[in-house]
This record gives sequence, structure tokens and C-alpha cells, in this order.
Amino acid sequence: MSNGNSSMPHVRHPVWKVWQNPIFRRYCRSRLRLRGAGVALLIAVLIAGFIVAMAGSIGVGSGANPQDSARPAIIALLVLQSLILFISGTAQVAGGMTAERDEGVIDYQRLIPMSPLSKVLGYLFGLPVREYAMFLATLPFTAWALWRGGVSWHTWLPLYLILFSSTLLYHFTGLVTGTVVRNRRWAFLISIGLVFALYTIIPQMAKFGLVFFKYLSITPVFQESLPGLLPKTAGEIVRAGQQLVPTAKFFNLDFSEAVFTAFSQGGLILTFTVMLCRKWRRAESHLLGKLWAVGFFVWIQFLLLGNALPLIDPGNLFPSRGFSRMVRIMPDWSPQPGEAVLMSGIYGFVTMALMFCLAAIITPSIDHQRRGWRRVRKLGLSTLPRFSDEATASGFVLVMALAGAFGWFVFTRALVESRWFPGQAVSLGTLGYFIAVMTACGLGFQALLETKGGRTVGLATLLVGVVPVMAGAVLSAISDRMISFAVWLFGMSPASLPFYAPGSLLSISELPAEAARAVPRAFYFWLLVGVLLAGWLVVRLRQARRAMAASVAGKP
Amino acid sequence: MEEGEPNNFSSGFKIELSHLRTTKYEELLMNFHPPAIEIRSLRVDYGDFLAVDDLSLTVPRGEVFGLVGPNGAGKTSTFRVLTTLMEPTYGEVLLDGVDVLEDLETARRIIGYMPDLAPVPSDLKVWEFLDFHAAAYGIGSRASRRERVAECLEEVALTDQCEKWCGELSRGQTQRVVLAKTLLHRPRVLILDEPASGLDPLARRDLRNALRRLADGGATVFVSSHILSELAEMCSSLCVMNRGRLLAAGTVDQVRHQLCDTRRLLTLTPLSHHSEAAAWLSSQAAVHELRIEGQQIIFGFGADDHAQADLLEGLIRHGIRIRSFEEKRSSFEDILVEVAQNNRTR
Repeated sequence: MSNGNSSMPHVRHPVWKVWQNPIFRRYCRSRLRLRGAGVALLIAVLIAGFIVAMAGSIGVGSGANPQDSARPAIIALLVLQSLILFISGTAQVAGGMTAERDEGVIDYQRLIPMSPLSKVLGYLFGLPVREYAMFLATLPFTAWALWRGGVSWHTWLPLYLILFSSTLLYHFTGLVTGTVVRNRRWAFLISIGLVFALYTIIPQMAKFGLVFFKYLSITPVFQESLPGLLPKTAGEIVRAGQQLVPTAKFFNLDFSEAVFTAFSQGGLILTFTVMLCRKWRRAESHLLGKLWAVGFFVWIQFLLLGNALPLIDPGNLFPSRGFSRMVRIMPDWSPQPGEAVLMSGIYGFVTMALMFCLAAIITPSIDHQRRGWRRVRKLGLSTLPRFSDEATASGFVLVMALAGAFGWFVFTRALVESRWFPGQAVSLGTLGYFIAVMTACGLGFQALLETKGGRTVGLATLLVGVVPVMAGAVLSAISDRMISFAVWLFGMSPASLPFYAPGSLLSISELPAEAARAVPRAFYFWLLVGVLLAGWLVVRLRQARRAMAASVAGKP
Repeated sequence: MEEGEPNNFSSGFKIELSHLRTTKYEELLMNFHPPAIEIRSLRVDYGDFLAVDDLSLTVPRGEVFGLVGPNGAGKTSTFRVLTTLMEPTYGEVLLDGVDVLEDLETARRIIGYMPDLAPVPSDLKVWEFLDFHAAAYGIGSRASRRERVAECLEEVALTDQCEKWCGELSRGQTQRVVLAKTLLHRPRVLILDEPASGLDPLARRDLRNALRRLADGGATVFVSSHILSELAEMCSSLCVMNRGRLLAAGTVDQVRHQLCDTRRLLTLTPLSHHSEAAAWLSSQAAVHELRIEGQQIIFGFGADDHAQADLLEGLIRHGIRIRSFEEKRSSFEDILVEVAQNNRTR
């Protein structure tokens, strides 16, 4: 062979020139072959054509003007495009990524000298390239319908920009799922499940004060653009109805829904990009670095509070307000104290769940720790670098717990001390209890995970987190006399503490008579148990780490 | 290596290198031309399972170096660390002087890796698969990529299959396509995990010649197999691994000598006094695993040729008349079978 001993000169492709990206081009080649893509494109064109023709003919049949008869097609086309990009595209990304790993081809891609970001972008746009082509095939029909319907670009441009950013967000979700989940079928199901959850379940949390979550879908922008997409009369009615709906507010700033959605989704897209780049750089890396995880947690708190706080005084944050708007009983409306207590509980619960997820991401496995200590020995250091994946995550979880407790307290205080509950106040002592709940649960979870590994934590979650709730639910259903016993059982689960805390500590709390005594007692008792247990687990963790450091340093 | 030395062949290699570092000039030279592969105290754990245990090895440039061992010996784990695909629990790996754990990007440019059961994407044609990798390795223009792809296909004798779908290739053809992919960027260190599996004898010969040519061109080839004869044919030196540990390393003859010396089997057929002969033999320190089969006394002997001669002399002095005295040395394959069996019963 010629020049067998020298590596070839290497030309690096700029990251932003996606069309030159070899991975993107590889998928263009395989997924845009006439044989496979031709049929898909034909189907997309046929359906889009059918939608436009059908809308037009219904308009003509009903005697509507050309503008009004063209507009219904736009929404139907948008649904088609969303199905193509969100469902099919995401499944393709997750399944394709898992298939690469399943077959082992991914090892080749790991070794090719492209930057991790280039690889991420290559897969992000390459794997669903057929879906993008199908989307493009429907665009002429959309363009015709927009032109014929006289829809202003102020209406359709933000909508399509957010369609694109949502597509990126979902495809990133699929890519991360495909990278992390080992089984192809599971990756496919989980990614579709996540898209479904992002569209249906997670936005529902907006109704309980966590407004930020609705901006993970295209829905807010779609609702904002809807009057401009409907036939004129229907559009006017919807526009009138929208006067009652609050716009996106972030602290005291007013944004259009599109800008705020792009802002919210952008942060998540950036975080997903970081996750994937880390995995491409080194397969064993954690999805997120410790600092990024803490930053991400604080950022989510910031968004949750920024969205929620401005909506308290107008009353738009309360679930009953949305309900009363629907049944038009606005004038005499005022929120119930129980709503505020429940919303505080949900905020605490979601914050805790997010903290658990991030703690699981940044906590090193036992193998990781051992490797880290050996590396420390090799480099002649005395301790693990603080921000390395192998270092303990306790400190970072503590910071998250403190930030979460503070966010929870700010939210609760704003609710209780709002104009809706005159004369009520939340003392600083409540912050102390919130901190105790978050740190006990967060540190206990993290210390157990770091000392014993994921399997033990999974079992503990099942036995301590889920089983008491199930048993309590069964007991409470038997008779009212069993409720106080059920309350004690519920309290055993860390998931109940964020609900018990506001129920026990807030002056506006109005618990049912059967639970009024049991809830505070169970809360204080289980909180004490939780704090002691977490303290013990943290001490055990420190001992385990010391023992590991000593054992690794002691032998080769 | 001399007889009676400890069975640590990796250190044997180190001795060889340290011998080279006798003058300052040579030491300087060594710094400029580090060995192609240097593994120091490598350890790989999978939870509680120790896959590679304190492996140290040096492979000089331009060698075709073989790594042989039964399934589960730690070959693939070693290769995955070498190719930056896996982080070891401990140890250092240098390729051409580049620490693969500290400088991934540079290391990845140096190596060409062909995994075991090398996969290919079924949705690409052979030339498309190679063209993609050529582009990914930054081989500039379309024309130069095409030229390079054609060269590599010719190297593995697959030019006529370039329009075929990768999914339609036979096992042997797939191996050759992946080998062609591995050669595309002219790597300085080739790491081939079981490259000959699935190849017919003709293709195996071609592979051997191709590897030889690469080594002659200055590339270093590190190749693994669990079939020793396969490696013995194509490698200038090799090492043997079992249970994650290095058992032997050196030239093919050195390794054979090392492994066989410790496993000689002697067969004695006395004319009479079988039980006396057996009793006397049993009292000798170097004799082990003695058994009587019919007229024959079969036993293992764990000492050198001189001790073996003394043993025969002792038997005669003891008044035992000997009809025959045979030495059977286990073949290389036999030894590896034994090694593999040990591995299974672990």
C-alpha cells in the first residue's frame, strides 16, 4: 500500500455547514432514495393536496368567500406537518440512534475525527431527513393556503418558527432517549411517550401554577395565532375570547407567546445539546456536568417563578379561575385556600422530582468512583477534582435542595400573602421546614444512590416511595376511621412530604377534620425520621468514599 | 528469555526496550520515536468482574503483533480501551506517544479499528459506506475520496462488489469491507479484533499479505484472535492472555518455548518393577500428576532438560530396566485449549 505509515491530511467540516456534514449526507443518501422516500413523499403530497382540495370544495359548497374557504386547510395542514415531524420524526431519531448502537456501527462514528457537536447535528438533521422532505413537500400547499387565505406573515411566521423549535426539542428528546436507552423498542416507545407527555400531560401542570411547562409545546403559539388562521367570523369570536386569557408574562416583562416559547425551548435544546456532546466525547460521561445540572435546576426554578408570580394577583394562576372562565362565573370568583395549599404542594413535588432526576444524572456509580480514585492515584493527586463526574454529588444536590426550597418558599409566600388571602403570612420558619424536606429527601436519595447504586435506590423507591402511598390509598377507601392511619402511611413516602408541609405549616390550610390532626403529626414525625436517615446515609457515604479511596490507593 | 525466569513476558519486552536506551542519544531517539503501543498497568473492571488485570505491554513500530486468548480473556476490553471506546479502571495507554485517555482526538486520528463481528449498515452500498467514512475522516475532494475508496477496495479484493448493498455481503466480504474502511485514513496503528473470523483460507492468506504490506509500510498492526495458528501465520510477535492477565509475549517461537516448557509430559514404560518405579518417581520433587496406564507410567515433569536427564539416570541407577522413555510436548493449540478450559471453569 502506498504511504501506509502516514495518516492522511484531514479536512475539517465547519459545524454550521450542516449540508456538508458527512453523517447528514450519509442519511440523505440512505433515507432519500427514490425507492423508499418516493412513496413517502407521494403520500405526503396526496394527503396535503386532498386537505387543500377538500377545504376549498367545502368553502365553495357553503358559499364562503375564497379567503375563508382556504383558511381551514391551514390548520389541517399544520396537524399533518406536526404528525410528520413530531411523531414520525422523533420515532425515527430515537429508533435510528438505538439501531446504530444496537448494530455496533456507532463505534465507528465515535472514532471519526468530527467534533461532538458536528456528530450531534449530523444525527439530528440526518436521521429524520425523510420526514423533513415530507414536510417540505407539504409546504407548497401551505403556502398556497396562506396566500389564498390572506394570512399575514405576523401570524404564520412565529407559528412556523415555533413548529421548527418544537421539532428540534422533540428530536433532541428522541436523540437523548436513543443514546441512553439500550433497547431499540424501548427507545422508540419512550420517545413517543415523551412527546405524548410533552403535549398532553405536562402542559396540564400549567393549570396548577407551573405555567412554564405549557411552553414546551407549540400550543400557546398556536392559540395566539388561531384567530388569524380561522375564517374571519370564527376568528373574531376566538380573538374576543382571548382577551380574557393572559399573555405570557415573565416577572414584570410582557412577551409574545412565540418569543417566550422560543426562549423556554431554547434553554432545553441547549441542555440536550450539552448532554449529547458529552456522550459523544466520552460514552461513560454523565449526561450533564455537575455545574450545568445545578445551573439547569436554578434556571427552571427561575422560569417557574417568573411565569407564575405575575399571574397570582390577577388570579389567573389558580385552577378554579380557568374553570370559572369556562363556565362564565367570573364576577364573584375568588380562589379557595385549599387551592393555594395544593398548588404549593405540587410546586414542591415537581421541584423534588426534578432534583431527583438531576441528582441521578450527576451521581457517580460505584465503578465511576473507583475509576476516579485510581485516576487520582495515577495523576498523583490527593482528592478527586470537585467538578469531575467521579466526584461526589452531595454538595451539588445540597445546593439544588436549597435553591428548590427557596423557590418553593417564594412561590408559597406569594400565593398566601397575595390579595386573595388578606391578613395571611408565611413565616421564615416555613422556609426552614421546606429546606429540611428538600435536603433530607435530596441528600438521602443521593447518598443512597452513590453508596449502593441504582438497583437499591429503585427498590427503595418502590418500597418506601410507592407502596406506602398505595397501601394508604387502600386503607383510606375502607372507611373514614382509617384515614388518620392512612395519613401516617402516606407520610412514610418522601413524595408526600411536599404536600404535608404546606398542609401543616400554612395558616390558610383547611384540612378535613379526619386528617387535621394526623397530617401535622405525621409530617413532623416523618420529617424527623427523614432528616435522621439522610444524616446517617451521608455519614455512611463519607465512610464508604474514604474506604474506597484508601483501598484504591493501597493496591494496584 | 532464559529458562527458569519468571513467566513475565511483558517485562521481557521492557528489558528489550531498556536495553536500547543505553546512550543518551538513543534515549533521545526513543523520545522522538515512542513505541507504537504502550500499555502500562491496565485494569478494566465491569462491576465486580475483573476483565483485564494489570496488563503491561509494549509493541514496537512496524510490527504485526498478535493478541491471542480464549473467549473472555480480556482481548476485546483491551482493544476497546486502546481505541478510546472505553475508559479503563486504571492504567495508561499510549499510542505513538499519545495518551489515549488524555488526548482522545489525536489518538483517534492515529488508530484504525476493526471490531469483532464488524457490523455494516444495511442501508448503504459498499462504496457509499466507504465514501461516508472517507468524508468523515476529512479526505478532501470527492475525486480524492473516490480514488482512496478504490485503492482500499482493491487492497481487500472487493472492487467488483462496490455497488453491492452492505447488507447483502457474506460474512467474509463484510469483514473485508470493514477492513477497507479501517484503512481509509491510513492509520499509523491498526487494531483489528478477530479480523480473520469468517474468512476462507484464500481470503485469510490475502489478509495476511495485506497486513504484512501495511507493516512493511511502517504501520503497526495489533490483531487479536482466539485461533493461535491464525496469528502464528501472520504475526511477527504475539502475546497470550487468559483471565485478563498476560501469560506470555514475544516472538512466536519465544512464546511457544515459554508455554511448552512448563507443560512437558513424560511417558515411561519399564520392563518390570512398575510399582517400584512409580514409587521412586513419586518421591521426586519435579514429578507431578503421576498415573499408571497399563504398562505405562505417565507423569508431568516441571523442570528443565538437565533435570530430565538426571531423572532417567536415577531410574537406571535404581535398577529399573526401561523399555522406552518418551517426552510429549503439548502443541500450542493444546495449551490454548487448556487455557480456555481453565477460563470456563473459573
